[in-house]
Amino acid sequence: MRFASFEELLRHFAQTTPEAPALCFEAHGEKQTRSFAAFYGDVCARAAVLEKKSFTCLGVLCDGSFACVTEIFAAVKAGKQLVLLNEDCTPEQLAAADADALWGDAELTEELSPALTGGVTDGRGKLLFFTSGTTAKNKAVVLTEQSLCSSAFNGGALLPLKNDDVLLCMLPLDHVFGFVCGLLWGLSCGACVALGRGPRHYFDDCTFFAPTALSAVPLLLGFLLQKNLLGSTLRLVLIGAGDCPQAIPGALKAKGVRVSFGYGLTETSSGVALSLGDDPYAMTVCPDDEITLDADGEILIKADTCMMQGYYKDKTATAAVLQNGVLRTGDLGAFDAQGLLHIRGRKKEILVLRDGTKIFLPEYEAALQPLLPGRDFAVTEQSGAPVLMIFGEESERETLTRALEGHMRTLPRGQQLKTIRFVNSPLPRTATGKIKRWSIQQKEEAT
Amino acid sequence: MTRQDIMNKTIEIVYECVPEIEGQTLEESTVINTDTGIDSMGFTLIICRLEAAFDVKIPDRQWKKLYTLGDVVTAIEKRLK
Repeated sequence: MRFASFEELLRHFAQTTPEAPALCFEAHGEKQTRSFAAFYGDVCARAAVLEKKSFTCLGVLCDGSFACVTEIFAAVKAGKQLVLLNEDCTPEQLAAADADALWGDAELTEELSPALTGGVTDGRGKLLFFTSGTTAKNKAVVLTEQSLCSSAFNGGALLPLKNDDVLLCMLPLDHVFGFVCGLLWGLSCGACVALGRGPRHYFDDCTFFAPTALSAVPLLLGFLLQKNLLGSTLRLVLIGAGDCPQAIPGALKAKGVRVSFGYGLTETSSGVALSLGDDPYAMTVCPDDEITLDADGEILIKADTCMMQGYYKDKTATAAVLQNGVLRTGDLGAFDAQGLLHIRGRKKEILVLRDGTKIFLPEYEAALQPLLPGRDFAVTEQSGAPVLMIFGEESERETLTRALEGHMRTLPRGQQLKTIRFVNSPLPRTATGKIKRWSIQQKEEAT
Repeated sequence: MTRQDIMNKTIEIVYECVPEIEGQTLEESTVINTDTGIDSMGFTLIICRLEAAFDVKIPDRQWKKLYTLGDVVTAIEKRLK
């Protein structure tokens, strides 16, 4: 069913299946469930409190807890603008989103509170998600509860969950894939969403919650498979937010688990295409969305109900990618004879890691430049992780590692260089000096 | 427990969690990502096993600051009762 707001969604199930479990989580070491009726009551009660508060834009430091989910729905119901953040967020992000209040870990909240600003006047119904990636220039994407509900509806229309399904939410809620495919997809189908307990419980969440469905990024899924941690109840896995090695869907199928790949962007409120058949790499376009290909194969998306309103306070950046309601994705794709979409790679100089994080390579390399003065190098990808390719000799490894150490320490682990590879000839460049990334990547794959 | 004891136990757990690097020399200065190739999921597994082995809790926010094995040993050493 299509909902226009979070409240409409919760109210619907609170009225039609009041006793059905909406959320399942751990409290004091025990598994607890909250029915749709009870959860809707929690949200309404908290919203009544928040309505009386004078702040206008709430930054939520998402920890995936029951209290966090309640706060998000309540703040939206109370008419506040929301900006969803993670614990690595910067004061600049907070200020850029005009947050004038914070919810989350007390120590971090205190640390970040000097960055709070004066708030907003027109934030009702808006949720801001930062595009995943390097923090310096990632942009706040303005979505709405309506666009997010529409995206969840699209997912549910193609991949319906039943009310006896348990969708395990292990992904961060500040990432739109986690929010829509880890939370809203389940709730909008009337299923129960189990709130994962964070990295310490990646190893036993599947045993604890016995999920029937799971949304995951390739990195996490590969790990769960390798360590045989997926449990025996799982029947459906939705994979998104990064390139996925073929071995993963193969291993899941061998376990009798249905596999679906999702393709989407923060700008489209998550998925616009999902694979439904035997080939997980062949995707059906979602009901509300239209996908066409530009002459060079770039994927263009028209998604009236799910499209972002724009990048927050950045008309120039918005106009660069969104024209007449059509989003230029920077991704390359192709349609097969059955009209199914296949992703072919990236047109932009972006590396998408297996945890869904995007690295803007020129920016990443610019940060390395002062540490490697005069050196011929490029950052490329190997097994979903960034790798430094440098013209030089193996004997320099130790020196280079130490030169980069200070900067690497400032980056999230997944964005740190996985290794350094030495090449014995200058890196291929265009006449204007730009690195020929595809050439490097192709050579790498051939070796 | 001495720092060396912690280091020895840490190395043992790293090898258990990532058997493919067994035999590789691990020192305090070993950079976890570039020297061992351990990815973020492997690192999570190692930290969780170390926390259980030493009965300590390293706050999640500190994890990304653990760049070398020496950093990991220091984080454990600080929290040992």
